Amino acid sequence: MTTIIPSPDTLPVHWLWFQILLTFTFVLHLILMNLVLGGSLLAIGDLIRRKQPDAESKHIPVLIALTINLGVPPLLFVQVLFGNFFYSSSVMMSVYWIMIIPVLIFAYYAAYIFSKKFDANSLFGKISLVISTVLILYIAFMFVNNSTFSIQPEKWAAYLDRPEGTLLNLADPSFWPRYLHYMIASVAIAGLGKAVWHRFFNKNTEASEKEIRIKKNLKIFGIATMIQLIVGTWFWLVLPEHVSKAFMGQNLPATLLMAVALLSAMLLMMAAIRGRLMLSVVLGLFQVILMTVIREIARHTYLSGKFSPSQLEHVHQLSPLIAFLLVFVIGLFLLFYMYRLAISPKIKNSL
Amino acid sequence: MNYPIWYLPNTGGGLLIAIIAILHVVVAHLAVGGGLFLVLTERKAVKSNDAAMLGYVRKHTWFFVLLTLVFGGVSGVGIWFIISLVNPGATSALIHNFVFGWAIEWVFFIGEIVALLIYHYRFDKMDRSKHLVIGWLYFIFAWLSLFVINGILAFMLTPGGWIETGNFWPGFFNPGFLPGLLFRTAIALIFAGVFALITASFLKDGNLRIRVFRYSAKWMYYPLILLALTGFYYSTVISEESFRNVFHVNPESRAFISLFIYASVALFGLGLFTIVRMNSMLHKVLAFILVVISFGWMSGFEYLREIARKPYVLYGYMYSNGIRPGEVATINENGFLATAKWARIKTVTEENKLQAGEEIFRIQCLSCHTIDHYNGIRSRTNKLSERGIEAQLTGMGKINTYMPPFAGTQKEKKALAAFLYEVIQGKTTIPDKGYKPAELTTEYPAFDPQKNDYVLLVWNDLGMHCISDNEKYFSFLPPANTLNAQLFKRGPLPQVVTKNVKLVYEVEPMHADPEKHSMFWKYSREIFGAEIPSGKGLAGKSVNDVMDARGNYFAADLIPVVPYRDDDVYSPYPVFTVSAIDQTTGELLIATKAVTPVSTEMGCKNCHGGDFAWNGISGVSDETAENILAAHDRYNGTTLLPDAQKGRPRLCQSCHADPAVGAPGKSGILNFSSAVHGFHANYLPDMDNTSCNMCHPSAATGNTNCYRGRHAITGINCTNCHGRIEDHALSLLAGQSSIPQAKVLSANLVPLLARDKAAVNPRTPWLNEPDCKGCHTNFNINIDGFSGTAYNQWASGFNELYRNRTDNHGVRCIACHGSTHAVYGAQNIYEKQRDNMQPLQYQNIAGTIGTYNNCAVCHTVPMNANGHHRNMANRTDQVAIVQ
Repeated sequence: MTTIIPSPDTLPVHWLWFQILLTFTFVLHLILMNLVLGGSLLAIGDLIRRKQPDAESKHIPVLIALTINLGVPPLLFVQVLFGNFFYSSSVMMSVYWIMIIPVLIFAYYAAYIFSKKFDANSLFGKISLVISTVLILYIAFMFVNNSTFSIQPEKWAAYLDRPEGTLLNLADPSFWPRYLHYMIASVAIAGLGKAVWHRFFNKNTEASEKEIRIKKNLKIFGIATMIQLIVGTWFWLVLPEHVSKAFMGQNLPATLLMAVALLSAMLLMMAAIRGRLMLSVVLGLFQVILMTVIREIARHTYLSGKFSPSQLEHVHQLSPLIAFLLVFVIGLFLLFYMYRLAISPKIKNSL
Repeated sequence: MNYPIWYLPNTGGGLLIAIIAILHVVVAHLAVGGGLFLVLTERKAVKSNDAAMLGYVRKHTWFFVLLTLVFGGVSGVGIWFIISLVNPGATSALIHNFVFGWAIEWVFFIGEIVALLIYHYRFDKMDRSKHLVIGWLYFIFAWLSLFVINGILAFMLTPGGWIETGNFWPGFFNPGFLPGLLFRTAIALIFAGVFALITASFLKDGNLRIRVFRYSAKWMYYPLILLALTGFYYSTVISEESFRNVFHVNPESRAFISLFIYASVALFGLGLFTIVRMNSMLHKVLAFILVVISFGWMSGFEYLREIARKPYVLYGYMYSNGIRPGEVATINENGFLATAKWARIKTVTEENKLQAGEEIFRIQCLSCHTIDHYNGIRSRTNKLSERGIEAQLTGMGKINTYMPPFAGTQKEKKALAAFLYEVIQGKTTIPDKGYKPAELTTEYPAFDPQKNDYVLLVWNDLGMHCISDNEKYFSFLPPANTLNAQLFKRGPLPQVVTKNVKLVYEVEPMHADPEKHSMFWKYSREIFGAEIPSGKGLAGKSVNDVMDARGNYFAADLIPVVPYRDDDVYSPYPVFTVSAIDQTTGELLIATKAVTPVSTEMGCKNCHGGDFAWNGISGVSDETAENILAAHDRYNGTTLLPDAQKGRPRLCQSCHADPAVGAPGKSGILNFSSAVHGFHANYLPDMDNTSCNMCHPSAATGNTNCYRGRHAITGINCTNCHGRIEDHALSLLAGQSSIPQAKVLSANLVPLLARDKAAVNPRTPWLNEPDCKGCHTNFNINIDGFSGTAYNQWASGFNELYRNRTDNHGVRCIACHGSTHAVYGAQNIYEKQRDNMQPLQYQNIAGTIGTYNNCAVCHTVPMNANGHHRNMANRTDQVAIVQ
């Protein structure tokens, strides 16, 4: 079956560049995606308890814009490193995969409807929130299908009987614990994000109310992290044997990372429940980065023996990379400049 | 090949890309031009202290966010998704080459998004001057993202220096980069104007509304000159081949050229109404219509750009089906199914042929062809037989280069043809039943060497002649056999006689009424431009008539004899009795019989489908004729089929010059033989004389077997003199090098009998032909050897041709040696000695007149000198005769 793995193309520079860029930009995308999805789920939670969702939920559409934008680089770099796997699995589930596009458009518009109708407390707005969230859950569902299917070429023979693009990877024992783990992660990070928002960006609430909200959201973060420890362990244990064992001693750096991650999670849980914001932020960021790196190691381990990006040829064209880095730095500067302009107070009273 | 295929037999992946891409591209161009529109309009409003106009800008910004940020942004990702699904190989190639280009574009995207969000959400909360800076930054970021994606998109059509170097920079700054960027900038500005009308049409204040409409009109019309100039510039940087394909050759373009032209007229015509004051509802309708036309207009342009790129997805590097041009030769050897990673069948067997064919279709063809819808393969193959489909696959991409070549073994090609014919067309190939010719007997006149004073030698000039006998649709070979004769008065020094003698000829009774069996007379006005009297040929001769004396020979030109007898027997060798009569005394000097070979065994149906028209034995059927004309119309943009169906069939040579029928043709069009052979050689290469037999009535299993002379018996075939069809075509096309189409047709032909194309000597059909002297060194091969082929050694002109040449005494070579292609002793499938009647009559030996030391046939005494040519007298080696 390994002969059906498509031949990969050559890289312009050493593969580690892409691996690092992939991991770094994926962390950013993850954080924003968690804010959107977790924030939506928490808002729905409020609706279920017949409460008005928090005001910060109005920002979901802006966060969607940034999430989509920050999804571009990791999708780009994962195709550079693992394209021959990723494209194959995408084709095999193509109908579901391409549906992501209209689904995302609808989810995005629905979020705007929710945001615009927020103050009017309208039913249509609330329904839109639910629709948006369900659609985003679909997108996450399909991404988990694709990313797991892509690294298991031993399952690709199923395509030979069903080439219409309707295959999924639901029979994978790690699928549901994985999906659950990611969904709960979004709630956790959303809780942290809301706490941060209240401390640094909320100008409309008075201080004591802000403290209450910060503590409440940190609690959500902490409890979610506690659940994650259980779900995550379940997820870890149902991975293919050689992958789960890698983190149990077979791969020393991986095992160390996992140990640190478990420890950090527990510290994080305690800091959050105790309402320690800055510590939670630092540990939370650290945790997201660790989890992403562990995920990358797991991906490499799934494919070990069949493929490694380190075996990809590269032709050594550095100048485009340098051009990108230059543009990136200038871009950062301009983003910062625009932010400064945006927050500068309005002085003149003319038009 | 490398990747699995998304099986979309009804929609086709291309349509999905088109839908997502066109929707995105219109909005994306708006995102760029509209950015400039917003900031310039805001500035204008501020400068003139116009709060109402500023209010319009605020509203338009919100519309802009909802359309370009949400729909435009996600649909852009949508293109990425869909191309990865429909063509992962090309997507991977692009991504691996241009990853940092896209990374750079992403920086511009995030700048664009942040700028737009600030511009919208902080519209009234910032100092106006700072807000304008944000607006400008938005536009700059948006235009820069166009800059990047345009480079990569243009690369796909004009990869420039990247093809040699694989280097990012020449690939990005490729020949299409600048014209594309400028052209799309013009489009962006125009769309900014069009879409502004949508929000403007909702303005309740009529004065403001008309002001904004007129202002938007400037955005629509001022960039037009830039659009036209850069559009023209764009068309000059694509390759010659691309240009030719998209604008002249590929039928797929025609609809989109029309769409683009009509939409341009509609958009810029109706757009003029923007300056007219009207009520709000009419303004809304106008705005909506112009937006819809914009989508149609963009579709026309983008489809043409895509079609210009065919057969490639990455020009010169990868075909649309994922195969690389450099791989084709290896695939042809090792097999396509064996090479394609995701093929479910790996080799073709007799049992799995149809499934293998289907698998090949799925992996190699589905990328462009659906079954019944866009580019539907069913309608593309319904005018061909199974063998024709196989030929089509062989010739694919050689003349009309918008198709890639077929990649696979011969067996795989046949399997694909079988799948297309049997499964897709639902037809079955009926195996050849074989043909049993009628057994005919002819009595020929006696000859008494003691009493007869004359020898009459009569022959058909070409040795074979065909009739394209469906004049209802076309004609290129009318009923027109020519008989020539020489009359000799016998004696030690024989005399050629033409004075005072009348040569009367009469065909076999069953062939006496050709007008009952041919549509030639019915359509003679349409085809030949004149009413030809019934029963008469193009030179005025009928089948029973008198020959004309010309110099030292007699001729009856263009006798309209046909192979269909009154008793429904097919006989392609009707026999004429020719009698030489003394004009003074009326005495019969001598009579003899001669064959005029005339066949309707036109092999067109072998590829073009249909059956034999006349009793299932011979002749061009209506179905075949329609399919031929349909193919000609499709490839050349002619209207031959509809014209014929309206009762106006044409003579092919009315456009294609032809010395055989004396037609001058039209300038700039290949002569008939060059066109037919040049075209078909691409579809029937590498087949030795089998390709000749596919069209000409020379197949051993056919109803004519016209190639029947001595050479046929010794195992020499058509190609030994004429070359294979590739050689044959190249010699003709070399003689037409001033016509561009000659280069197109010969581009992929490889000569076998010449070192290379440059070594092929040009020839004019019917005038420069292979000649006996090419092989028969010094008139005796057995002593002086031969070169092995007469190819490329053409007779220099009409008088040098075998059929016209004489010796020093004015005796025609053909008179003694027999008709071309039926050189004595010939063998005829209808009657073994049918072609040898004159040698048998005069010397009882079915061989050259005078062979076996029979000079006395004419000389009345034995001869021992080489009177006519070398190596005649006292030959020690005797050549074969027919017993």
